[in-house]
Order: sequence, then C-alpha cells, then structure tokens
Amino acid sequence: MTKTATIMIDDQTYQVPDGINLVDAAKLHGITIPVFCYHPKMESVGMCRMCLVELGSISVNRDTGEPDLNDDGSPVVRWFPKLQTACTQTVRDGTVVRTSTAQVLEARDNILEFILTSHPLDCPICDKGGECPLQNLTMAYGPGRSNFIYDDKLHLDKHVPLGELIYLDRERCIQCARCTRFCDELVGDDVLAFHERGRSLQIVTISDPPFDTKFSGNTTDICPVGALTTADFRFGARPWELDEVPTICPHCPVGCNLSASTRIDRDFGGKKMIKRIMPRQNELVNEIWTCDKGRFGHHHSRAADRLQHPMMRQGGEWVKIDWATAYHQIASKLKKYADSAGFLAGPTLSNEDLWELRQLAELTGDTPRLGVWPAAMTGAGVVAQVGIGVNTRLQDVGPETAILVIASDLEEEAPIWWLQIKQAADRGAAVVVANARETKLDRVTHTVVHYDYGDAVAVLNSFAARARSRRKTSKALLDNRVDGYDDLAAGLKGTRVPFADAADVLLDAENVIVFAGAEGLTLDQHRELMQAAANLLIITGHVGRQNNGLVPVWPGANVQGALDIGFSPETTASLIDEPPAMWFIGGADPAADDSQAAHVLANAEFVVVGAQFMTATAAQADIILPRQSFAEREGTYTNGMRRVQRFYAAQGPVGDALPDWTIYAQIGARLKGPKPPVSAAAVMRAITQHVPRYAGMGYSSLAHVEAQFPDVGGDDLYYGGTAYANHGGLGVQWATDAEDDSARLVVRPAQIEKPEKSGDLCIVPVRLLYDRGPLFEPSDIMHQRVPEPYLELNSQDAAHLSIADGDRVMVTAGEIQIETAARVNGHAPEGVVLWPRRLAHGPAPALFSACSVQKIEE
Amino acid sequence: MLAEKHADRINKIFAKYPDKRSGVMDLLYLAQEEYGWLTEDALREVADLVDIDPTQAHSIAGFYTMFSEKPKGKYWLQVCTDLPCALRGADTFYRELCAYLGVEDGGTTDDGLFTVEQVMCLAACDRAPMMQCNFHFHEHLTIEAAKELIEKLRVQAQPETQEDGGA
Repeated sequence: MTKTATIMIDDQTYQVPDGINLVDAAKLHGITIPVFCYHPKMESVGMCRMCLVELGSISVNRDTGEPDLNDDGSPVVRWFPKLQTACTQTVRDGTVVRTSTAQVLEARDNILEFILTSHPLDCPICDKGGECPLQNLTMAYGPGRSNFIYDDKLHLDKHVPLGELIYLDRERCIQCARCTRFCDELVGDDVLAFHERGRSLQIVTISDPPFDTKFSGNTTDICPVGALTTADFRFGARPWELDEVPTICPHCPVGCNLSASTRIDRDFGGKKMIKRIMPRQNELVNEIWTCDKGRFGHHHSRAADRLQHPMMRQGGEWVKIDWATAYHQIASKLKKYADSAGFLAGPTLSNEDLWELRQLAELTGDTPRLGVWPAAMTGAGVVAQVGIGVNTRLQDVGPETAILVIASDLEEEAPIWWLQIKQAADRGAAVVVANARETKLDRVTHTVVHYDYGDAVAVLNSFAARARSRRKTSKALLDNRVDGYDDLAAGLKGTRVPFADAADVLLDAENVIVFAGAEGLTLDQHRELMQAAANLLIITGHVGRQNNGLVPVWPGANVQGALDIGFSPETTASLIDEPPAMWFIGGADPAADDSQAAHVLANAEFVVVGAQFMTATAAQADIILPRQSFAEREGTYTNGMRRVQRFYAAQGPVGDALPDWTIYAQIGARLKGPKPPVSAAAVMRAITQHVPRYAGMGYSSLAHVEAQFPDVGGDDLYYGGTAYANHGGLGVQWATDAEDDSARLVVRPAQIEKPEKSGDLCIVPVRLLYDRGPLFEPSDIMHQRVPEPYLELNSQDAAHLSIADGDRVMVTAGEIQIETAARVNGHAPEGVVLWPRRLAHGPAPALFSACSVQKIEE
Repeated sequence: MLAEKHADRINKIFAKYPDKRSGVMDLLYLAQEEYGWLTEDALREVADLVDIDPTQAHSIAGFYTMFSEKPKGKYWLQVCTDLPCALRGADTFYRELCAYLGVEDGGTTDDGLFTVEQVMCLAACDRAPMMQCNFHFHEHLTIEAAKELIEKLRVQAQPETQEDGGA
C-alpha cells in the first residue's frame, strides 16, 4: 500500500495518497480546483494560474513534533501570504488548502477575465463548444462582463494548418502549452513549439512533414479550448449531438479502447455514422491516448467500394446472389470437399467469428485445418506459459524494471506501446532495444543491440547463458516448477555473450518485460525466438507477476484471439505447402501479402472469401461474402497482453453485409450443425464453456468498469472531452500458467538456424504503420502520411550500384519486379534491402529472397 | 552552407558544450551573420547541425529579439523604449529617428541600409536614449548624434564590397 497523507481541504480532513498532486488529491474527493495548463499525465508548469488557492500547512512544534494549537484547540495553520498554484504542489501530511474563499473566487474571476481578453468567444461555431473547459469554467467561475474593450481584441489567423491533420485557430489559443508539452515531454517528437513571446506567443511547426508525429490527434483532446481541431472532425458535428459508442481499434495488437462518436447523418443515408474516433480511458491499456492511425483510420467502414452483396462467379462474371443461395452453395461445396477444405482467419476476425468458423470447420471433418493470417508469428503455447503478468500497467513501470524490445520496429507496429515504453524510459526504466537495424526506439536508451539479421535467437540465448554464468537464475522456480532445465543448461554451455552489457541491464532488474516481434525472422525462427524469450524469463524468474513476462507484437488486432481459439500459423504454412482443394477465407488477404499464397489460391478448385473489399484474395474467389466492419457490429478482440475487450455496434449497416459469425453459423446450420446463435453474447457464452482460458468471461464481465485514476473522463468541467469516460468495459485479461503456482513451466534449448541468405542483396520485409492495406487506404485524410513506395538500401550497397537517395530503381526478386524509389539513409544493414509491406500494391517477396536493384536512368 | 564554410568555428562551438544541441544559439548567430537574417532554410540548416527538430530552432529564433527571422537592413538599429529609457526621452528619440529615416516602426529604409526597431531593456538605462547598431551600443544619444552616425554609416556603405556584409 502506498503511504497516505492527512490533508485539510476547505476545513474538512481527508486521507489521500502521499505525494500526489494537490489538484488530483482534491479531485479524488470530488473537490474542484479548476485548471487549464495542468494535466495529470504531464509535469505541472503553473502557467495559467487558474488553480490559485489559499495554501498553508499545520504548524508543528519542533521539540515535541506535536501540532501547535490555537486557544480553541484547533491546529495553528501557517498560510502563505499570497495565493499559490495548486497544480505545482504535492500533498503531504498537514497540507491545508482553501479552494472556495472569496479571495480564491476573485482570483479565478480575474484570471478568466485575463484569459478572455483576446479569446474570440466564437463558441457558436467552435467544434469544442459543448465540451470546452474554457467555456465550462467561464460559465462556472468567470465574470459576466469584461473590463476590456471588445474592439481591442487581437485578431489572428483562424485556419492555420499544422500539417494536413490538425488545424490551429490562433485566436482561441490560451497558451497553456499542453500540446507542446505533450509532443516534447511525452512523445519526444518536439515538432510543436511556441514562437515569439508575450501577446504574440503562438504555436508553430516547421517539421517536415509538418507536425510530424504519429500521435498528433491527442493534442486536440487535451487542448482546453478549440484551438486545435482535427481535419477529420472540424465543423462535422456538435458534441451534444453525438452518441458515444465504445469500440476497440482494429489496427494493431495494443487494442486501444476507443469511443466512436456517432450521430444519424445525411452523409451516410440517414444511418448512424462515426463522426470521429476518440480514445476511451483504460489505464491498463492505452490510458487516454491513441495513435493517428486508430483515430483517423475508421473511414474504411463507410468506403464507397465496400462489398455490399454476396456474389458468385459465373462464367468469369460476378453475379449478385442472396444470402440463402450463398449459404446453400457453400454448404454443398463444404460437403463435397469435406476434409480437403482449408480455413484461414484474418487478424480482424473477432473471437465470436473465430469460434463460429471453427464450429463450421469441425462440421467438415474431425481435424479441420485452421490457419491464421498473417502467418508471421507463432508461440501460442509460450504466451500461455509466460505472457505478461495480469494487471501490468506500463505507465507504472520505473527504475526497477527492464524492458527488452527485440525484432520489432515498435513505433510502426504498436505505437502506443512504443509511447508507453518511451515514457517508462523517462521514468528510469532500463530499456534494451535489440534489432538488426536502427529504429526510433533506439533514441530512448543507451543500451542498443544491433545484431545481424538471423541472429535474434542467438542474442536471447546469450542473455540466458549470461544469467547462468552470473548466477542470476531463480532457484525457487527452477527447483520446483520447471521442466527441461538440464537440457537447456547443457545447450547454453559455452555460448558466447557478445552483448554482455545489455544482458546485465536485464539481469540486474527486479522486473523484466520482453516485447518480441518477428522482423527478419521466418516462422520457424520466430518459434525459437519466442522459446528463447520464455527460457530467459523462466530461468530468471520473471514470470507470473505484474510487470514481468512476454508480450508478442502480433501482426494484427486479434491474432491472440485466433491462437486462443485454435487457429495456427503453422497450419497456414502447411496449407500453402500442401494446398487444400477448397479454401474458406475470412477477413484475410493472403494474395496481396504473399506471392506463393496468391499462386496457390489461383490454382484452388473452389475459394470462398469473406471480405469488406474486392481485395486481391477476393478477386480469386468463387463466392464472395460481404463482411461487416468493426464499426457496425459487436464482438470481442483479445489484445497482445491477452486482454479480451468488447466492442459495440456503432454505425449503421452497409448493404447486405453481415457479421462473420452469423454467416458461418448459417452455413453450419445447413450442414446439420446446431441452430445459429441469436447474438454475439451467446457465441461468447459458448467460447467461455469450451475455451478454458476464457472461462468466467462473458459480455457482462467484459463490460465491467472501475473508476479510472487520473479521472479525466468524469463530469468535471476542466479536463473536457465527452469521450474519455469508459462505459464499455475494461476487458478481462486471462492468466498464464506462470500465475498458477501448481502449473509446470517448460524450457527447451532454442535452436539457432541462420537462414541462407542468397545473393549479395536480399530482401527483408518490414511493417509500416501507415501503409496501403485495405483497412487503411480508404482513409483519404491520411494519404499524405503514407509514403510513396520505396525500398531502403545500405549506403555502401547503394554506392556500389551508383544509386543515390531518391533515385528510381527497378527491383527484381524472383517473379516479383517493381519500379520504386530508393532510400539511402543509413538504416538498412549491408547486403539487406528493406521492403516495407503493403506500400506498393502486390505481395512482398519472401524473407531473404535474393534481389537485384538497378537504377533507372532518367 | 555553414558546415563547409565555417567548419572550424562550428567545431569550436561544439567543443564548448557537453552535447550538440547546446550549441544552437551560437550557431543561430553564426547563421544570422552569414545570411543577414534567419531564413527558414538557415533554421533547418542549424537544426540539422545540432540534431534538433527545425521547429525548435524556429522557436528559439522567435523568442529572442536579437535573432531576426525577417529580412533587415545592413544596419539594424534597436532602440530601447522601456520605461526608464522613455523617461529620459527615448520614445521621442525613437519617433524622430523613424521620421528622419522615413520609415514606420519596425521598417527598413528603401535603400535597404537601415532597419529600426523598438526593443526591451538593453541594460543601459542610465545612458538613455541609447540604441544598438548591429549589436554595438551607442549611448547618451541625441537625434543630432544619431543623424551624424547614420550619415557616417551611409558613407561607409557606399563602396559596396563583398567582405563588408552583415556585422
């Protein structure tokens, strides 16, 4: 338990956690100290003066340690002679504060009058109107009239683009510096700053591209006035018209809790429509942040080219069919092909969809082939053993914890985790970044390991060997609960430790968290990487506890769910090696990602594809099933930290599209399966009965909400934003074996198989946040942030080929040939060509395939 | 480019500080000396040299009155008109100076020689009216003395030579 302090607010005594901010302490007990510049997620600066209070402390006799008493027995309070800013005070025993005396009220009145001297008061046309702290506080504490002359107001530019995503209204800005401090302190992208001073002070950016950060949208949420608005929402709707629907981001494994602000809108045929996406507070997941992809990447749900009806290919033409025909046709094909059908689930299928897909598959044979796409990462069993401890809060992680990020460009793959790790580093957590190339996370730490592509497993093995040689192993765990340690120990004997300093950073920490990606790893190598990470965590005892364990950086929002429900990437690999006659694909686009998969699909006898768009895979189908997007249906996703989270139907339907689970259950019913379930909740009930890790969950427990601290989403007047409040649930995180004292943990030697690199130059596909994937490309607003297709070359290789940064090049890798731009900026290791996935349409070549690069002469 | 032309001075600047970014002010002065004023390209060049975002260089240049982000004349006349100086007649002096040069507050003469500007305290209140001409102090001024100085500078500027530019 944290220490508590006894403080007095407005003559009442309260117990609060010792050392917290005075504004927060008051808010804990429902007492308002209004603020503009203070924000509980940032350091206080005391700039706006709105939080002025009378502050004192109880006088204590130095000899006795007892409080001095007045004649009437009350304690003597030593008051500061002038008002103090509450936001710059932390509470301790004996803090006394008065928040509503005449002096304080007058000060607030004066500050507001001052702040409003040049505020345009254009609330009727301001997007923030209705959820604006300045508006709220002026109504509550402000003067009814001003001593200043209205005509003296300074008139400034009202539509200043800070890049194409965020607009600045210079008149409305009250210079609280929340936005600049967010960029500077929290994100470390110091691309916003103040320019000039005094009355001319204004926010500027001249970064390239302007406001160059992946988190820019968050500044509009924390702006206490309508100075910063998003291009996506400005002039789109009034906050009081909006209905907030809890949802979960479908883009990455972080699983940010979001609010979809919806209203019935003529732009969407009079149906409910998402007008904006806002972060929804969940302190265990995304706190109050989300990245720009999550915030602005919702347009796919309403894209004009969404598939609207089931379609069947007849003589080379697509023919619209009704659902009954589609169900009947597919059922008869599944009956015909039976166990020579293969099933493939994409990363945005919900747990309910996955469960019903499995039920359908099991009607075709006893051991159906259930694959997951992308099949880039594996390790379900390892995660079940040593996944990160339940109730880990990355925002609490500090000097006692070390975080290892390996084989992942985290800012591109899971931006909010990147942000949280960056902040953990600021608080003193030891961060070790191990990659084959430079990534942005390298900036936050001095402990950077750059290995050769193919050596990731060896690096982890060497850390484990170092743990043994330094006797940093956990005897209690190894003696009582671990199987296979002797083999592992034998395997580690004599292992070279090239990065001993990095190993020691991890071994000397009280807690260790490992984030593992799969960049530059084949599926087989990735299995070994996950095992090597598990070995390290188990033998050092960093499992089964809060702030310890493994986090896989899955290539999608619900890959964890797919693994939990029985889909596997190994099966996917076997489906491609030994293709089935019939494919049943839901929400995956293998033909766009992988040329071998595209080839196999083209040769299949019958292909059924559930899709939102006419993807490369859908184009190969015999029957297309239009699936609903995350916006118009409910379901659950399981994030990379195994938290099962609910999302709700936010938007009106598109065409005849249906949720995947309904489609699968209906087909199943025509294969003598059970009657289709009536709701997603009923499907979840079946999951909880059959998937042991999900036992005890259910739509009501997933919707459970607890008060969040800091409380920025309540009914207060001063943090603003109507969307933060979490009414949709905090989700439930399933516990790993490591958390069950009776469960055995298994280690085994992780094999190092360095893949054959063919040729002088070989390809390593990498993931980018802003790509041309089917769920992101329809968001036109983000187009300027998606780079033109490029490849990254090492400067030596480039010099050898007479290629300069920006040159056009022709790249040939096997059958794949594209013309693209070359980047030469020192990030690619020698002999490697980095190929960002999904920037160019068309599949990326396989990992380490040989390629040739030729400059195209102008 | 600064990096090529002033490599030695830049290295000397970096040698003074534990990290590169601390050298930003010195380099902004260098850039201003080189280009006459801080163009956006100059800000980007300096930002690149000290490895900070150009926005931060822009912010620093905007905060300090001794950096100029606008084109200015060959001679930059900054007159302190804060209260103590004004009490000694600096505000009248400033008005007369503007009138003599035929420019508005903050303006530049048509021949591009002089830019006038009011600034905050230059720490010479007891010697007001005073002004700073390209960072050199001229104190105990009268408008006659200022006119004399201006004419002297006009003559000095006559045989325009390359080396003479800037400070």
